[in-house]
Amino acid sequence: MEILEKISSFVLPCVVLFIGLILLFGKGDFFSHFLDGARDGMKSAIRLLPSMCALVVGVSMFTASGAADFLAKLLAPVLDFIGIPSDIFPLVITRPLSGAASIATYEDIIAKTGADSFSSLCASVIMASSDTVFYVLCVYFSSSGVKKTRYALPVALFISAFAVVFSCVLCRIFF
Amino acid sequence: MLGKCFGVLSVVSFFFAVICHNTGAVCDAIVSGASKSVTLTISLIGIMTLWSGFMNVLKQAGIIKKLSRLLRPVLRLIFPKSFKNGVATEEITACISANLLGIANAATPLAITAIEKIQSGRKTDIASSDMITLAVLGCASFNLVPTTVIAIRQAAGASITYEIMFPVWICSGLCMVLGVVLCRILGKIYGDT
Repeated sequence: MEILEKISSFVLPCVVLFIGLILLFGKGDFFSHFLDGARDGMKSAIRLLPSMCALVVGVSMFTASGAADFLAKLLAPVLDFIGIPSDIFPLVITRPLSGAASIATYEDIIAKTGADSFSSLCASVIMASSDTVFYVLCVYFSSSGVKKTRYALPVALFISAFAVVFSCVLCRIFF
Repeated sequence: MLGKCFGVLSVVSFFFAVICHNTGAVCDAIVSGASKSVTLTISLIGIMTLWSGFMNVLKQAGIIKKLSRLLRPVLRLIFPKSFKNGVATEEITACISANLLGIANAATPLAITAIEKIQSGRKTDIASSDMITLAVLGCASFNLVPTTVIAIRQAAGASITYEIMFPVWICSGLCMVLGVVLCRILGKIYGDT
């Protein structure tokens, strides 16, 4: 299994090596192409700050106010019915909202139930196979000035809910 | 979308802060949230700068064009409009390739570039179907090896570490397929802009 990690740790250096070879042997001034592209990337990233600020403040308020905990309690009967272990309810709420908060919740679950418990395994698969939906959508759309995202949020949230349910099913099959 | 999200979050948070006596914590959260957004953006600036530079080198060297021709048969089905009109095909190809190689931190900057490119030829602020498909694919983030999760598990002394990769692959793979299918269906129903 470790061999896979070795292989995957080679992917990024290989891409960079490839770029380096182009810079060394390519005909033309490829480094100035790098600088041009990099400058554009930097500009798009800076344009993200205003919307990022609104999102992070909103999400921080939401978790600090106790609303996230309440939502987890509210959803508990539904999640219980589908067969999702009750220890991971808080993770189901924090995962789409915030990366840092969901890692903290995930570590709580491991500390509480042990790293090899069924709940921790489900939590691990959920952590690795879904992403912070709100953050991703905010980052993807805001630098290009797209404001109306139509069905993007509902579909993304549905997919992440599906990931939660399916992760638990897969853990039952695998472990 | 973000405006409405922020509105909902602030109303709900105020309501719960008063009921649960958490107003102090919410005050802290507002201030620290604002500065946290700067840290997040700054860390993103570095990755964005690097990958946009790399992207431009590969583009000028003609490599992405070759790759895009290679992946065209598949990507044409996922992003029909962009590939039909030849808009942002190279950017989309680069983003999907990074996603499939499991370089998740490259997928984000490349997706931003792709969406900017699609948007540059349009005059509306409504997302096109192809943009939404790209974003939904980004949400099902595929990682070849989920390093953060495995590191946390190893630190906690778990006996099952790398084995979680198989369910993770199946789960994110299925999420991606489901995401694309849903996006295509909804794109047909709502039409494109």
